[in-house]
Amino acid sequence: MLSRRILSPASISRSRREFLQGGLGLISASSMSGFGLPMSRRLVAPSPKTILVTFGGGARDSETFAQEGQHNIPHLLGELLPQGTFFSQVVNAGILGHYVATASIITGTWERFDNFIAAPPPNPTLFEYFRKGLRRPSTDAWVIAPSNGFQRIGSSSSAAFGPNFGAGVILPKRLLSAALHDGRHDSDSLAHLLQDNYEMPVYQPAESEQDRELHLNMLESTLSVSVADFVRHAQTLDSADELSIFITGQLMRQHAPSLLMLTLHDMDIAHAGAYSLYVDAIQRADRLCAELWNMIQTNPEYKDRTTLYILPDFGRDSDEDPAGNGFQHHRTGGALARTTWLLALGPHIRQNAVVERPIQSIDLVPTIGCHLGFSTTSPGRCIGELL
Amino acid sequence: MTPDRLRADDFAPYPAAGRGFAVDHLEMLRRLPMAICPSFLQQILVLDTSFPAEVSSLQRQCDAIEHLEQGKFAALVSPFQHLSIPAHLEESDWVQSPAKFITDLTAYLWSSSQIDAFRSAAQKLFAAIQDSTLYPHRLTMVVFGRDARTTGTPLLTKLRPRGVLLTALQTQDMPGQIFEVFSRHAKESQEPFAHWYVDGGEPWTQEFGKVPGAVSISYPALDDLRKRTLAKMEEVTTGGSGGAELMRARLTSMNAKDLDAGSVTEDPVLARFYTELFTESSGPQLFSTSFVQWTGRELARRAQPRTLLLRYAPRRRYQPFNEMLRTADPEGVDPEGSLRDAEMGAYYTWIEMSRIASSGKNTFIAWVEGTSQAILAGSSAPGGTQCDTALRLKDALDAFG
Repeated sequence: MLSRRILSPASISRSRREFLQGGLGLISASSMSGFGLPMSRRLVAPSPKTILVTFGGGARDSETFAQEGQHNIPHLLGELLPQGTFFSQVVNAGILGHYVATASIITGTWERFDNFIAAPPPNPTLFEYFRKGLRRPSTDAWVIAPSNGFQRIGSSSSAAFGPNFGAGVILPKRLLSAALHDGRHDSDSLAHLLQDNYEMPVYQPAESEQDRELHLNMLESTLSVSVADFVRHAQTLDSADELSIFITGQLMRQHAPSLLMLTLHDMDIAHAGAYSLYVDAIQRADRLCAELWNMIQTNPEYKDRTTLYILPDFGRDSDEDPAGNGFQHHRTGGALARTTWLLALGPHIRQNAVVERPIQSIDLVPTIGCHLGFSTTSPGRCIGELL
Repeated sequence: MTPDRLRADDFAPYPAAGRGFAVDHLEMLRRLPMAICPSFLQQILVLDTSFPAEVSSLQRQCDAIEHLEQGKFAALVSPFQHLSIPAHLEESDWVQSPAKFITDLTAYLWSSSQIDAFRSAAQKLFAAIQDSTLYPHRLTMVVFGRDARTTGTPLLTKLRPRGVLLTALQTQDMPGQIFEVFSRHAKESQEPFAHWYVDGGEPWTQEFGKVPGAVSISYPALDDLRKRTLAKMEEVTTGGSGGAELMRARLTSMNAKDLDAGSVTEDPVLARFYTELFTESSGPQLFSTSFVQWTGRELARRAQPRTLLLRYAPRRRYQPFNEMLRTADPEGVDPEGSLRDAEMGAYYTWIEMSRIASSGKNTFIAWVEGTSQAILAGSSAPGGTQCDTALRLKDALDAFG
C-alpha cells in the first residue's frame, strides 16, 4: 500500500529553502543583521506606497517554488526574488475559501463568515486603518478584484470604520460588462476576459441602468479612459488577470494611490480539473507580477518608494492527500493547502534573502501598519524582517 | 437526536439493503459520535446501488470498529466528542438526510476552526480500522496524447521515477494489443464491475464491454447526462442569485432519475455511478480530460477495479466558463493542453490505484498514444530506469509487470 504521507509546514518550507539556496545562492535570515535602511535614509525617504498582490486561486509549491515547478515562475525566481525577501512558510490558519481568505489577509484577522456571500468583513480592513490612521483621501486606497464576490472587500462593517474610510473597489469584469452593454462592441471576442469558474460562477448580475452608469463613470472619471479605448485595449488581452493589470496601471498613472491591492484569479480554473490551464495561469501571473514591478520602477510616483508584497491566499491540496484530488481543490485543510509563501520587494526590504521561520498571512496588516505608521487591532504580529 | 438514541425503526424508510445493514450494526452506530455517525449512514443509505467493493469495504470498517478494544475505541472517538456541534444540526433529520448534515457540519467546522481537529481525528480513526485485506493483482493502463505534438517537451516526468521508461514499444495494432492484455487479465475474475474501459472520446472498436465482468463507458455515450447537468448549471448561473454553494447543492440533489440515467443503462448501480460522475464533481461537465481522470479516481475508490483502462481524448478548447455551460457541443479541441492534463491525470491514477493495491500486485502502464514511449511500473520494474528494447505490450508486461 502507498504510505499516506502528510507534509508538515516545516517540511514544505524546507523544500522551498533547499531549492532557493541551492539554485539562487540566497542568504538566510539568520545570517542577516540590521534589516532595513539606516535611520538617516528613512528620514529623507519620500512618502511610501504599498501594493499588495494576492493570487486568488492558490498555487502549490510543486507548480511554483519547488524544484519541479520553477520553470513556471521564471520572473518571480529570476527577476523579483533576488530583489526581495522571500518568506518560505506563510501559514493560513483560517478558512480556505478565496473571498474569506483574502478578507483575512486584509483585515489581519481570521475571518469566519460565509465565503460565498458578498458581505463586508466584520473587522476593519487595511484600507480603513490606513485612511483613518493617516487621514488619507478616498482616492488614495484601491482594490482591484476580478470576481463579483469581492465587491464588498473595500471596507468593513465595523462601526468605528466602514465605507467612509474604505478603499474604492474596481471589478474589471463589471467595468467591461458595462462597457459592452450598449451593443456597439463585439462582446463575443471579449468573453474570455469575463471568465470565471466553479467557485465563482459569473451570474447575470441584475445590474440597473444606474449601476452601469456608475461603472462607465468610473471608467471615464477615475481611470480616464474612454469606453471605446477601454474596449479596444481589452481586445488585445488574453485573460481577466491581464485586464486587472491594465486597470492597475491606469489607476497608478491617474491617481498614484498610496495603497493598492490586486487579486490575480485566473489560476482558480484549477477547479475544472485541467492541469494545463492551471499552470498556464500561474505562468501568466508570474509574468504579470514582473510587469507590475516594471510599472512601479518606471513610474516616478512609485519608483524607489513602493513596497510590493506578493502572496497566494493559500495553497492547494496535496497530490498524496487521500481526502482531495490534488491540485484541483483546496478542501482538505492539509498542510500543503494551508502553507504558502510571501515575497516582499521595496526600498526598505532586504534583497536576496530567505526567511524560514513561520509567519501567518494575518501578520501582513500589522506589518504594513508598523511600516507606514498606523495602528491596527489585528491579532497578527509585525514581521520584523520587513520593518 | 443523538446517535445513542437510534432505533431500528428509524431505518424503515431506507432501501432494503441499507435497512438490513443498519439494523445489523445498530449497536455500533449508537456508539459513534455525532460528528461521524451520519457519514456511515450516508454510505448505508445507498448500499443497494453501491458497488460490491464498496459494500465489502463498509462491512469491513464496521466489523473493525465493533472489534476494537473498548479503551482504544474510546480514545479514537474522544476527539470527535470534543467537537462542538450546534443544536440545530443535532436536531436536523440527519438519519434520513445524512448528506445535508455532512455538508452543513463541514461548513460549521471550517467556520468554527474545528476542521483541523476533525481531520486529525478522522485520519486516526480510519488508520486504526484500515483494511488489511490482501488485494488481488491489479492492472492499470492509461493512454493519452492523441493528436498532440509531443516533441520538445519532456513526457511522463512525474511517473518516470516510479517505473521503467519504454522507448521502443511496438505499437502496431495497439488497440488490439491492449484488448488482448485486458482480456487476459480479466480472466482472473469475472465478478461484476471488476474490469473497466473508460474513453474520453469515441472508444476503440474492440469489444471490451463483452469481456465477462467488464464495463465499457465513454464520454460521448454519457453525453445526454452531461448535457442535462450543464442545463441545470446554466439555470443557476443565469438565475441572478446564489453562487457556488447553490450550484453544488442543486447538482448533488439530482439523482439518476432526474438525469434520466435509465436511458443509458438499466443497471441501478451504474445509473447512480454515471449520474454522480457529473453531479458530484467539477470539471467532467466541461472537459473530457477531467471526466477520464475523475472517473478513474472514483472507480479506484468505489468499484476498486482489477483491470482499468483509461484513454484520454483531446478535450475542447478553453472558453469562458459560462460559454462552456451554454455550448455543450463546442468547436475546436486542444490536443497539447489535453496531453498535459492527462499526464497529471495518469499520475493521479497511479496514486489512486497504489492505495488499493497490495505490495507487488500493482501493474501500471501509461502509453503516449502515437508514440513508442510508455512508463511501466510493476513488481519487476525498477524506478527511474529505461528500456530501449523493442517490445510488444504483452512482452513488456510479462517482463516488468
